[in-house]
Amino acid sequence: MNRWRFQQLSNRSFLYVGATLLALLAAFPFLWMVSTSFKPPVEVFAQPPTFIPQDPTWDNFYRLFTTTNFLTYFRNSLIVSGLAVLLTMVVSAFGAYSLTRYQYLGREKIAGLILCTYMFAPIMVVIPFFILVKKVGIENTHFALVLAFTSFCLPFTLWLMRAFFKTIPVQLEEAALVDGAGRVRAVIYVVLPLALPGIIATSIFTFILAWNDYIFTRILITSDELKTLPVGVQDLFHSALIDWGLIMAAGMMITIPALLFFVAVQRYLIRGWGAGAVKG
Amino acid sequence: MAFHSDRELRRAAPAATDSPSGAITADPNVTRRGGLIPVTKPKRREQLTGYLTIAPAFILIIGLTLYPVAYSIWLSLLEKHSFFPQERFVGLENYFYLSKDPEFWTSLWLGVVYSIWTIVFQLILGVAAALLLNQSFVGRGLVRGIVLFPYMIPTIVAVILWKWLLNDMYGIVNYWLLTLGIVRDPVSWLGTDHIMLSTIIMSIWQFFPFVLLSILARLQTIPEALYEAAKMDGASPFRRFVHITLPQIRGILFVVILLRSIWMFTKFDTVWLMGEGAGAGRFIRTLPVYAYMRTLTYYQAGLGAALAVIMFAILVVCTVIYFGLFREEADIG
Repeated sequence: MNRWRFQQLSNRSFLYVGATLLALLAAFPFLWMVSTSFKPPVEVFAQPPTFIPQDPTWDNFYRLFTTTNFLTYFRNSLIVSGLAVLLTMVVSAFGAYSLTRYQYLGREKIAGLILCTYMFAPIMVVIPFFILVKKVGIENTHFALVLAFTSFCLPFTLWLMRAFFKTIPVQLEEAALVDGAGRVRAVIYVVLPLALPGIIATSIFTFILAWNDYIFTRILITSDELKTLPVGVQDLFHSALIDWGLIMAAGMMITIPALLFFVAVQRYLIRGWGAGAVKG
Repeated sequence: MAFHSDRELRRAAPAATDSPSGAITADPNVTRRGGLIPVTKPKRREQLTGYLTIAPAFILIIGLTLYPVAYSIWLSLLEKHSFFPQERFVGLENYFYLSKDPEFWTSLWLGVVYSIWTIVFQLILGVAAALLLNQSFVGRGLVRGIVLFPYMIPTIVAVILWKWLLNDMYGIVNYWLLTLGIVRDPVSWLGTDHIMLSTIIMSIWQFFPFVLLSILARLQTIPEALYEAAKMDGASPFRRFVHITLPQIRGILFVVILLRSIWMFTKFDTVWLMGEGAGAGRFIRTLPVYAYMRTLTYYQAGLGAALAVIMFAILVVCTVIYFGLFREEADIG
């Protein structure tokens, strides 16, 4: 009996040690970023390093907002990600509704084709995309960027929305139609409210992808005032002497919106994951 | 509101949103019956609406993804400057050039090295972590959330974080290694000798949560009774893993390995940003980075496109072989 209890206890402690190590592995770099971003320049380079800033300051954030174009990049990121979400969601909601509620020739083929494009990596699309965008004459615009993000996100949002729509029983709409509601009213009052969690989760996945994107922005945008955060911050990094405190403050400011949204959708995450919601 | 009562709607709603079967395994009858909704309307109108509602998505995907990819095949047959409109048809010359280009072979080799190491360790770490987080313990939900952070943050943040951790003068990693006496001199993690290793470690950190979550989602569906029965029969934890867990996760492992291989082999931003400004970028110039540089550093769009096409061809060939080798798993997955 005693031996059994001992075994049990050591198993438990292994479990907790493992879980703690795992959490630290994932979180330590962040904690270190947060810590660095509140340190004055002298303390950033202190040896031995301090974990908790001895002399915490907002100075890095202040300089980030006043001496760099950070706020412009931030605004651009919001605009571009927001528009990409809007376009992607409208198109994929219609598409997913079509794929789950209507029957027509080649429907499954279209669905399969869309899933296939999910496998195209950005690097394979972006080179020809760049040349085509130049031919059309919309290079260096937010419009081109929104189109690029939409093309990148659409396969998986469509797939995900299709999965969400499938879980909504058709009988509910049938009942509404029998009661005399038109198709449009049935969708607005019956389907959309039920699909709302799915729509929110999908929008946030799209937002995070657009928010985090580097490659499309790097290639399609050349003027500084149009850059989004990831590219803007990379260019901060380029300046001669690396101001680590400032960079870490910028890193924190980019991460916070993505993390907030991430926490908001975490409970849909497993379901979305099953449907192939995440790319990268 | 078309419902007789709100109660009716409310009764139906939880069944729809909380379906335990999850999103992908929805009732297969739903779509079939979906075709019958407007019972009284003629079938042709039904079809037309169907086509009209899928059209925007279809057109966007054709125009913004399939057409560009097809165009890159044409582009790879041209000699074309990335910024000026001149172009000249040169046939397969770009491919011949690349076949004799040592830089190409190096980048292919570096890409393979990078992909294999990152995939193997992502899988080991991801599966191990999933098994751990499938046990029940206090604070499990919190740890599950935290562990996904690395995958959710922008790549640029992941890269600057690691460049700071690995900084040769002031980085905390070197500080620890020196303090613990593991190394005598600071290691130049981003220098020519170690940059590949650093990039691999950083990529494993960034991408293992994907493996973790995919596997964890599947582990949660394995019936506990299987393990109970095995325990009764006195099977050790290792045997339980090999004989119960592994067969159950085979299908999802097949998919995860496929997706991770495709994405690691074509990974651009992580590798490019790690190499930028470090002076040792040449030592992690993988195929996607090389394709980017041909297009936007040397302005040879034709060569860049040829590299993208080669990358795509390699992926297609490998995927076909992979499906052939693991036909059984492909059916489960």
